[in-house]
Amino acid sequence: MTSTTVTGTRAGPRRAEKPRTGQLRRAEHRAAWVLVIPFCLLFLVFTLWPVLQSMFMSFTDTRARDLRTPFSVNVIGFANYAKALSDPVFLRAAANTAAFVLFGVPLTLAAALASAVALDKGITRLRGLFRLGFYTPVITSIVAVAVVWRFLLQPDSGLVNTVLGAIGLPEPNWLGDPYTALPALVAMAVWRNFGTGMIIFLAGLQSVPAALQEAAAIDGAGAWRRFWAITFPLLRPTLLFVAVTTTIGYLQFFEEPFVMTKGGPLNSTISVSMATYQQFGFGNYGLAGAMSYLIFVVIAIVTALQFRLIRER
Amino acid sequence: MTMISRRSALLGAAGLATLGLSACGRGNDTGSQPTGPGSAVSEGKATGEVTVWAMGAEGEKLGDLVEKFTAANPEVKVTVTAVPWDAAHDKFTSAIAAGTTPDAAMVGTTWMGEFVDLDALDPTPADLIDKTVFFPGAWQTTEVKGTSYAVPWYVETRLLFVRTDLASKAGFTEAKDWDQLSALAKAMQQKAGAKWGISLQPGQEGSWQQVMPFAWSNGATITDEAVTAFTFDSPEMSEAWAYYQSFFTDGVADKAPAVQSTADADFANGSVPMFFSGPWMMSAVEKVGGSGFADKYDVWPMPTRKTATSFVGGSNFGVFKAAKNRDAAWKLVQFLVDPATQVEWYGMSSDLPAVTASWQDPKLTADKRVAAFGQQLEAALAPPAISTWDQVSAKFDSLVEKVCKSGLAPAEAVKTLQQEATSIGMGQ
Amino acid sequence: MANTRPRWWLYLVLGIALLLVIAPFLWMVLGSFKTEGELRRVPPTWWPEVATLDNYTRLFAQLDFGHYFANSTVVAGVVTVGNLLFCSMVGYALSLLRFPGQRAIFVAVMVTLMIPGVVTFVPLFMLVVNMGLADSLPGLFLPFLASPFGVFLMRQFFSSLPGDLMEAGRIDGCGELGIFFRIYLPLAGPAMATLGILTFLGSWNNFLWPLVVASSESTYTLPVALALYSTGQNQTEYGLLLAGATVVVLPVLIVFLLFQRRFIEGIATTGIK
Repeated sequence: MTSTTVTGTRAGPRRAEKPRTGQLRRAEHRAAWVLVIPFCLLFLVFTLWPVLQSMFMSFTDTRARDLRTPFSVNVIGFANYAKALSDPVFLRAAANTAAFVLFGVPLTLAAALASAVALDKGITRLRGLFRLGFYTPVITSIVAVAVVWRFLLQPDSGLVNTVLGAIGLPEPNWLGDPYTALPALVAMAVWRNFGTGMIIFLAGLQSVPAALQEAAAIDGAGAWRRFWAITFPLLRPTLLFVAVTTTIGYLQFFEEPFVMTKGGPLNSTISVSMATYQQFGFGNYGLAGAMSYLIFVVIAIVTALQFRLIRER
Repeated sequence: MTMISRRSALLGAAGLATLGLSACGRGNDTGSQPTGPGSAVSEGKATGEVTVWAMGAEGEKLGDLVEKFTAANPEVKVTVTAVPWDAAHDKFTSAIAAGTTPDAAMVGTTWMGEFVDLDALDPTPADLIDKTVFFPGAWQTTEVKGTSYAVPWYVETRLLFVRTDLASKAGFTEAKDWDQLSALAKAMQQKAGAKWGISLQPGQEGSWQQVMPFAWSNGATITDEAVTAFTFDSPEMSEAWAYYQSFFTDGVADKAPAVQSTADADFANGSVPMFFSGPWMMSAVEKVGGSGFADKYDVWPMPTRKTATSFVGGSNFGVFKAAKNRDAAWKLVQFLVDPATQVEWYGMSSDLPAVTASWQDPKLTADKRVAAFGQQLEAALAPPAISTWDQVSAKFDSLVEKVCKSGLAPAEAVKTLQQEATSIGMGQ
Repeated sequence: MANTRPRWWLYLVLGIALLLVIAPFLWMVLGSFKTEGELRRVPPTWWPEVATLDNYTRLFAQLDFGHYFANSTVVAGVVTVGNLLFCSMVGYALSLLRFPGQRAIFVAVMVTLMIPGVVTFVPLFMLVVNMGLADSLPGLFLPFLASPFGVFLMRQFFSSLPGDLMEAGRIDGCGELGIFFRIYLPLAGPAMATLGILTFLGSWNNFLWPLVVASSESTYTLPVALALYSTGQNQTEYGLLLAGATVVVLPVLIVFLLFQRRFIEGIATTGIK
């Protein structure tokens, strides 16, 4: 059987096709419909319809008061999209989000991979404890996370600055300085999310056959080399999955800036999700819808790029 | 799917879409006209079922308060649903959009303009409520284009919290005017060991509530009398912003405080011995300060410039247009603003009464500090109840941030604010 | 592994990392036993100076805990079971069967996966209201029974399984549906466990949707009820908030521990081979 890959939009099995008789084909179709219809009904009603409605709204000047009469609005074409793209706050948010993703995703992947390797190959005991422990940031309440991180980052008495001061490095006001606020949030996001990636990588690592590793070891390959030559290539599909899902998540990052800095100081940490949420709050449904679909376009492009870059040959 | 059928499917979809889009358009959109007061409510007792939404702690306790009402009106049944404050606004706007609002609800004062614009609230009936019984600033928060759409239920205002022990070390027993306040703040740092003289918000969400009292005290206004145009670009406003900025440029207030305010903790440990806030902070600072702390601080009135005006907030109580039992709902509202009920509510919740007569009650005159809040309420204002206030105040906050943190000139900032506010408009 | 020396230094490094990573979680649990005054202090304290069960007693006294817990369990349970069933069915059909419209369905699913949820919130709410599902538990779980993410996950998993089993099934006289239910589905244990945990997590912690859809307190789920008692107009009650957060996280921890083993085996086969 050919190894299947996460190819996204190319559906359908890749196995060799036996000529199908008409009867077999019909039976297959019938079964497929039975399996698919319940989902499709729910999907059409609860997922697709709201998407279409909101897409429509993004081309109109819908405000909150128009929701009860959705068709008595003016269709204004791409005006909302143009407005979004010329809004300085939205543009700043886009730049912030791009920076966040560019730095955050690789760091998260690295932390996740490193911890997975350490837990899988480095240690033999207490694995369960470490697994659970490293996963807790993912499930801890954001309120507790915010208090502890704010304390860590406090300019005068915080742990980070105390350590930096002890080794003679400058002690910035992390969350109060427009230049350091975003990097601080990147660090917090990496901390918060690497656990999920770690768990997925652990599973991927466990699927690497031990026999291959042992053979290489017998051949004299060092641990490092073994990793890059054997393990890493087999982890590629896992890497793709984690990269894609992490990126999609980070492109929509919201909680960290919302709770820690409210988008400040001076809009240095506002994200596109926050800007969109703000517009929904103001009742500008058309504009907010346009912003959301712009985000979607970017997500789609970036996801496609990642598939191209990381996919197995 | 064959090529041909796929193409025709796409064409069909495109055709339908165009048809749909072309069917749109705002017909004769008359918008919301100024309406008169609501039609009168019937005489006699309330009957039927009334559904009420109330947020947070008020929601939990309202059920008990309402028992007297149901005792006096045996044929009415009141169902109170408590709603968390977190995301309450979203819950209301979603319910309004979908038409699932209750009969009556607690409505935040800054939500009024938006809800009226959404045509959600019923105008207050003409003879039901006498507006003179309320604090004028509070009543103003219920009026949109001259018509009242709700009734003030409880109020709050902002006073200056001061560590009096540290203030006397600094050589002050009062902060009567702007100069004295600045001097006191500086002296707190130099003589009383404070890190920052005063806690002020340098922009970001809600900073307008700290800046506007100074502006109002200097005679500035947000809009003109008739609420038809913004009036941000005035020398009075610019002066007030310059005064606010001076605290930061003089190094008296922290330019980069934490977004989640630690004002109570800083107040208690003396690192920031002054801040402006409302009555709820009294119990907060006393909790952190521990026993005996109550003697170490006091609440002082707004410093005087041309006037000594503060901000009035709180909650109103309104009836929705889509109410199924409008009659009984308004009767319930009438009950809630009865002076005796207001005093009882204060006892249950510590929410300050919106009705001035209630303040004569010994429960409220007994506590000196509570009485001080009552005093300030006589001279307290609120922003206009326009549907775009959220957007305008967001611009306000962002410009204040630039003024405080990047040294933007106040005169320029208010001019920019005027332009941006005008382009956002007032909704209708 | 060639190296069998216990790497004590690695344990040390990991141990320190663990403490740093788990600190907020520990603080959250410890904080739930502190007084409000202590919680508001700056800098924050670690061990409670005066440990108190006050927050928990207040929480359980004011809150009709059993009722909200039951609501949350029903909703999260139905969403999880529903997704496990429907997503596996569709995932199988999309990957191992061939039928007209297959590609369209997959594209639609992938596209909706990438759309930010905030934009469909209000249209979905209005739809639910118009269907008469407002303020009901079905209104809380029906819209989430068909998750695009779940379909993607299960499709990846099934495409990694060999197709020859179908032939074997046909020879044995199994109907097409029988092949699915009796041959392929039993192989899907690990992936189902994975999907189960992720779906349960998302549904259990969901706050905004239950808040907006429920218009009477009896329909609230646990996160909504907890927010009710801890967030105020002008300030938050941290003690209650942390106690609530600790209570809410416990079922999640339990589900995680229960499924952990299968979960890890599971991800390995979600088409990532």
